[in-house]
Amino acid sequence: MKLNRRLFMSSAAMAIATPAILRAQASPSAAATLRAVMHADLRSFDPFWTTAYITSYHGSMVYDTLFGTDEAGNVKPQMVDTFSVSDDQLAYRFKLRDGLLFSDGAPVRAADCVASLKRFCARDVVGQLLWPRVKTLRALDDQSFELVLSDFFGLTLETLAKTSSCAFIMREQDAMVDPNEQITEIVGSGPFVFNRDETQMGARYVYDKSPTYVPRSGPASGTTGGKQVYLDRVIWENIGDPQTAMSALIAGEIDYFENPPLDFVGDLAANRDVNLLVSNEVGTCGCYRLNHLHPPFDDVRARQAMLYLVKQAEVMAGAFGLSEYTEETPSLFGNNNPMSNRENIGWFEHGQDFDKAAELFEDAGYDGRPVIILQPTDIPVIGVAAQFAAQWLRKAGVNAELAVSDWGAIVSRRAVKKPPEEGGWNIFPTYTATIGSPILYPGHAAGGDSAWFGWPDNPKQEALRMDWTLAKTQEERQEIARKMQANAWDFVPQVNYGQWQQPAALRSDVSGLLKVPDLVPFWNLRKA
Amino acid sequence: MKFLLRKTLSMGAVLLIVAFMVFVMIRFSPGDPAAILAGDNATEQQIAAIREAMRLDDPLALQFGHWTSQVVSGDLGTSIFSGEPVLDMILQRIEPTISLTLLTMGFAIVVAVVLGVFAAARAGRTTDRLVMVFSVIGFSVPGFVTAYLLIYVLSVRLGWFPVQGYTPLAEGIGPWLHALVLPGLVLSLTYIALIARITRATMLEVLSEDYIRTARAKGVSPNAVLYGHALRNAGVPIVTIVGLGFSMLIGGVVITETVFNIPGIGRLVIDAITKRDYPIIQGITLLLSAVYVMVNLLVDLSYGLIDPRTRKS
Repeated sequence: MKLNRRLFMSSAAMAIATPAILRAQASPSAAATLRAVMHADLRSFDPFWTTAYITSYHGSMVYDTLFGTDEAGNVKPQMVDTFSVSDDQLAYRFKLRDGLLFSDGAPVRAADCVASLKRFCARDVVGQLLWPRVKTLRALDDQSFELVLSDFFGLTLETLAKTSSCAFIMREQDAMVDPNEQITEIVGSGPFVFNRDETQMGARYVYDKSPTYVPRSGPASGTTGGKQVYLDRVIWENIGDPQTAMSALIAGEIDYFENPPLDFVGDLAANRDVNLLVSNEVGTCGCYRLNHLHPPFDDVRARQAMLYLVKQAEVMAGAFGLSEYTEETPSLFGNNNPMSNRENIGWFEHGQDFDKAAELFEDAGYDGRPVIILQPTDIPVIGVAAQFAAQWLRKAGVNAELAVSDWGAIVSRRAVKKPPEEGGWNIFPTYTATIGSPILYPGHAAGGDSAWFGWPDNPKQEALRMDWTLAKTQEERQEIARKMQANAWDFVPQVNYGQWQQPAALRSDVSGLLKVPDLVPFWNLRKA
Repeated sequence: MKFLLRKTLSMGAVLLIVAFMVFVMIRFSPGDPAAILAGDNATEQQIAAIREAMRLDDPLALQFGHWTSQVVSGDLGTSIFSGEPVLDMILQRIEPTISLTLLTMGFAIVVAVVLGVFAAARAGRTTDRLVMVFSVIGFSVPGFVTAYLLIYVLSVRLGWFPVQGYTPLAEGIGPWLHALVLPGLVLSLTYIALIARITRATMLEVLSEDYIRTARAKGVSPNAVLYGHALRNAGVPIVTIVGLGFSMLIGGVVITETVFNIPGIGRLVIDAITKRDYPIIQGITLLLSAVYVMVNLLVDLSYGLIDPRTRKS
């Protein structure tokens, strides 16, 4: 056969295009693949080993939980079929749904659940409150297990159903790994399977629809109900630059952007191919952690002075511009959640008062020493909060200094208990999405040395926090929350600087995003 | 041969010094990988347990000795965060960086030399001034600004190129090249600006030499004078600046890979620095140092090819 120009050109074109064609045939189609940009890189795959939210998201992809929480906040069985609770609420029996399988084909057994719960309780902050009360936790047969407590714990089912740092169910052999080490295999009974071969650490994380997942019947709501998966593949693209992520979303190269900066939201809202959706209506609350160990904030009057310095609206405007997604919050527990209340908020109603703050600092014996405020360069909202704090303090006659570094260095320095002049700090601005829970947010602890950064010490607050875990009804918990707040705004463990909701941005052909406070559910999502 | 031997020995010394300095600097800089890994809601006890499990509490001398003995045997250690061998992670990510770097260098050198020669041949005229203005702009405008502008116009508005990402060569030359056009253009601008200026300056010096006047007087064509006689004699400084500019290219790769979401070595090292993943930072710094030394060695060797007089010296 003679080689002519036409034959050569067509052969060359085929040679160039063939690898792409073959590869396209092996991967799910673009219509069945959802590409998402999440708020952080996935650094650890063990959801019991780290408290990082992104790892919890990963866990919700590949694992399932015994119970879930629906959109109204109600606890409902998920992997559990039926359960019983004794009248004294000390003995629980659980029976698993039929046909539950791990992605390797092995059935989910009660022994897997027992081992998983033990590992969970070894690391989780709420699990660590539950575990000392556990008298027995044992499998009764392959489908059933029981949990018997020695003392009442008001959050037993809530612990199994919580939507952050969840009580995921792993295979027994994975759950038997030392809690201080990470699991090495990722095999769960969740709606997706982690595709390690196609994953590239730091760049892209690939999840395929699980062929063995058995969804519950009924509509999906929160982390409960039928977790139907309508996509063949979900890819988390680690696009570190938010501008690039936004451009990629507009151009259709990605389908979902979890945390677009709020100053991009206007442009995204104006784009007809993009929708904005707030899936976490509780939002995120910013707070200044005050260091109770060293002057001036070892004196309650100096801490109270901060209540008269912080003007939340200014921080929110400085960080996000004039936005419908920001608000002020006088509550220790933030707004928009069952524990929000208005106890002891006279300081908030009084408003910013530099003279009053200066007077309180003077009463506290402030001697002019530098007040060190940690300021990160790579988290804009916290950086803005730090700068405002410095400005307000200076107006009140306080010698405020900003200690500027990246977040990685701040994470190290915030743990330093030494005096500020020896590498410690006075104010550590941060934020949290779990401020509504006296237990989930570690900042509500007031156990002194064992408390979270800032180390507030107030036995009354700690006692109230423990009472909250023993409350039997939501009304009781709310009453305790009111008492906690009344006490807190007297001894001032921290001061809030504002609250904001983070809308996610998704392509207009994507639908079905469920509202879950602490994670992003990829089940129920469809692409048109 | 003696020259090569001397250069190889000095390369070893340079790498050892780099290894030591990087190891010490990152260990003494603020940041705790255990705290970053544990997450914001972790307790001090949890963080301490992670630190112990990862042996981050071992004495520094022990850590350094352990790492250097690994490096000598070709093992760059294991990522603190992923547990994967650093060498494997580098090999997985090296193709995009090599692709981007070589394309950029090739494109930049060709364009810059032509622009520089063009400007020198038309010194003082409008063309020369335009080239110099372009050079100043290319040098002054930060790469990420250019990147955002190009993405907005050519990707988002016109849809001619992808916004981000990298297509492996195995998926076809066309898609591979298509994905690298914008990042290559962004990365090359500063490089072109630098090389064009040096080329122009060196060419102007050479064009005033007697032998150039002789060549013209003998009737040699203008292009032959420029490219056959003048450019070859201007080659040594140009090659020198290409080698020196390589370090600038490495820095630019980090920014370009971040903006265009290219999963190369630049992104890997930025992520590692943010996380304080010491083995990756050390491994990549060592690798880039070795490459930089090799590039300069090649530059030194090229002098002999360009100018035979340097072979004797």
